[in-house]
Amino acid sequence: MSDIHEAFFGLPQEVKFCKKCVISNQRPSSTVEFKNEKGEKKSVINFSDDGICSACIFQEEKETGIDWVSRDEQLRKLLSPFRSNDGSYDIIVPGSGGKDSAYTAHVLKYKYGMNPLTVTWAPHLYTDIGMKNFQEWMHTGGLDNILYTPNGKLHREMTRNAFHNLLHPFQPFIVGQRIIGPAMAKRFGVKLVMYGENQAEYGNAIEENSNPIMNMDFFSSEDPLEMKFGGVSMQEYINTGKYSIDDFAPYIAPKQQDLIDSGVEVHYLGYYLKWDPQECYYYAVENTGFEANPVRTEGTYSKYSSIDDKIDPFHYLTTLIKFGIGRCTYDAAQEVRNGKITREEAVYLVKKYDAEFPSKYLKEFLAYIETSEVDFHKILDAHRSPHIWKRNPDKSWSLRHEVE
Amino acid sequence: MSKKRIIARIDVKNEFVIKGIHLEGLRKVGDPNELAKNYYESGIDEIIFMDAVAAYYDRNSLSHIIKKACDDVFVPITVGGGIRTVENIQTALNSGADKVAINTQSVKDPSFITHASKTFGSQCIVASIDAKCIGDRKWEVYVDNGREPTGLDVIEWAKKLELLGAGEIMLTSIDYEGTKKGFDLQLNKAVIEAVSIPVIASGGAGKTSDITELMVESNVDAAAVASLFHYDLVTISEVKLGLSAEGIKVRM
Amino acid sequence: MINIAVIDYGLGNTKSITSALEKSGVRVSLTNVRDDILLCDGVILPGVGAFSHAMDRLISQKLDGLIREFVGTGKPLLGICLGMQMLFEQSTEFGVAKGLCLVPGQVQRLERCDGSAEKLPHVSWSGISTKRTSDWNGTILESIDSDEDMYFVHSYYAKPANSSDVLSLSRYADLEFCSTVKHNNIYGCQYHPEKSAVAGLRVINNFVTICKG
Repeated sequence: MSDIHEAFFGLPQEVKFCKKCVISNQRPSSTVEFKNEKGEKKSVINFSDDGICSACIFQEEKETGIDWVSRDEQLRKLLSPFRSNDGSYDIIVPGSGGKDSAYTAHVLKYKYGMNPLTVTWAPHLYTDIGMKNFQEWMHTGGLDNILYTPNGKLHREMTRNAFHNLLHPFQPFIVGQRIIGPAMAKRFGVKLVMYGENQAEYGNAIEENSNPIMNMDFFSSEDPLEMKFGGVSMQEYINTGKYSIDDFAPYIAPKQQDLIDSGVEVHYLGYYLKWDPQECYYYAVENTGFEANPVRTEGTYSKYSSIDDKIDPFHYLTTLIKFGIGRCTYDAAQEVRNGKITREEAVYLVKKYDAEFPSKYLKEFLAYIETSEVDFHKILDAHRSPHIWKRNPDKSWSLRHEVE
Repeated sequence: MSKKRIIARIDVKNEFVIKGIHLEGLRKVGDPNELAKNYYESGIDEIIFMDAVAAYYDRNSLSHIIKKACDDVFVPITVGGGIRTVENIQTALNSGADKVAINTQSVKDPSFITHASKTFGSQCIVASIDAKCIGDRKWEVYVDNGREPTGLDVIEWAKKLELLGAGEIMLTSIDYEGTKKGFDLQLNKAVIEAVSIPVIASGGAGKTSDITELMVESNVDAAAVASLFHYDLVTISEVKLGLSAEGIKVRM
Repeated sequence: MINIAVIDYGLGNTKSITSALEKSGVRVSLTNVRDDILLCDGVILPGVGAFSHAMDRLISQKLDGLIREFVGTGKPLLGICLGMQMLFEQSTEFGVAKGLCLVPGQVQRLERCDGSAEKLPHVSWSGISTKRTSDWNGTILESIDSDEDMYFVHSYYAKPANSSDVLSLSRYADLEFCSTVKHNNIYGCQYHPEKSAVAGLRVINNFVTICKG
């Protein structure tokens, strides 16, 4: 009897957990989302021969291998020529008012003397705490903002398709989120865009960390009609007759050459300043009126991370289904790396919370994507890779491998 | 009139003192025994050690810290966080604690407070309430270190805890704690008026005048302070002098 | 080096008492063994909780007779908090419970009026005072300032039958109650000297000095 079970999405056959943190080798790397289609092979986080993930390896470098004083100088040198002196905006900071963008925008304005315009790609469904923190970002943090809410009808349909076809409901959102920074920069005649941390910190190819600049592939396209949303191309949406190209205004990624011509540069602040998400929380509370979630966030132990969108929990549910790792694993892995909790504690927390079902907003999510609960579970189950999940005699599911 | 007490609240995770905001965050700010000794030598009236992560890990593990503290600290010590059984209380007292603070378990099983206070004496049992504002003059009781709502009204729950046999109440405002913006006066007053046992206000002190205001405006018995002392914003003498100047009686 | 026994009957914060005694340079044993106790230079009776419960424990371990026997040797005994209350004849907590009857007097509840600013239990740093500090010479309160604050946590207080046994007074609401008692070689502190910082440690040190004889 063979012990080999099929691995969906081209994921590594053997499931391994990092010896330092708790992430598994099934964790997908960042990808150009609008090229994401059904059946695509995923590229995943790298593990060294002694079982350490690339995010942990990078963390070591952050602690000892990087001269943060010189990085700070680099930041100042970068900002200096862009700094306006006539009251115009000189830097675009995309974000929702969560701890990371709260920190980024505030520190750029009040420590580094820039004049940021924050731009928000609206969450699908704002939570109460998310909306409150968003408002406080302006009112207490003292910042300007443009809230950009895309056509809800289209966004919902794309999210629905993304859930059904890719089990990745956040895919269309991520496309828009990456485009809005540079797109707004172009519209306002601002050249500099600054995101917070580089996703590479969490396990993309480690070389990406030595580059402060976001790869243009993430937010530019030569042929927008070929951009895919929920596995369906823009052209196909238009072909249904329900939408025209006008509806896709927010999603049309600028051409690379246009961006180059307008001098737009997209940087990560995490390259210049040593990133610690928990310290961003403290900073945000102390400076921008941020408040943690009043209750423990479902699926994890924490209260300060990713709390502004009711769809968030379902993003993490789908990572649990597809890759065997849920929100708690992501939070705990990050906190182990940043020295807040030990690996032993992380393992305990993951076992306690990772598989917690997000029931709080389930009804709203199902209504948003117009899917019945029965179909919802059918789709989840269809994406459970046999090498990660096993079906029990009572029809329930168990993970084959749990972190130890 | 009894003298008011100034208490240092030390939240501990493993071997570190941590300080969060809204009962969230694990920023390390020092060594528990060092801080306790400093505070004792600077004239603190009492010390409360809270195991900040007992709720996460279903354990409580401050015994070694308390034992060491008893070598250097000769003021009352309270231990809280993960006190769930009579054995937990016995262990804490055997390690040298004078009182235990109980929150989550008292909600899960209110008879635990009665049983504990009959076994050890009510003066040993501090009922700890974490309160979150949910409306005008309405607060909800939270458990698991400020993570899980219970649906209980804070004022009604405080009254019940007194009847169950608690000797004191430690009242923490989740909204104000860690913010250094002052105490939640409304909350503290409401609870103080509802019970006849001593109340310790916890959460929000950012400067001496916050504590003075609390003690002038309410009949609170004690103020538990963390950020103010951990971040060295003010010394214990400065606080006591400030209170004295306003006519509040404290041990000098 | 002198030996001091702290009575071990399962109640009271013995860790702090033993730490404080060790700081005074004595050999401390936490014990309920007859011979160990009788041979010591001084004995401390700790106590926290309910009077009748504590008395039951002493009696069931035959420690009540032992304590009386020790007192009979003339060597010093110090009762702390409930330990002090148990020295007396009886307490009205949960009905009437009999004490060790080593000091004439009884134990009763502190009175609190509804709406009063005072709370029960009395948990507070409060001053211990006397009309003449010279009365404190040669006692456990030697060189303590009058009105020095000590840490109190109690709902009951002792009323010695003889005013000559009252060594210090403290205040709760309108009541002045006996906070330190001295009856021949027996001392009692309603407050916790082991929890009263430097002043409290001085009280313990004084007791040690008296034990040295």
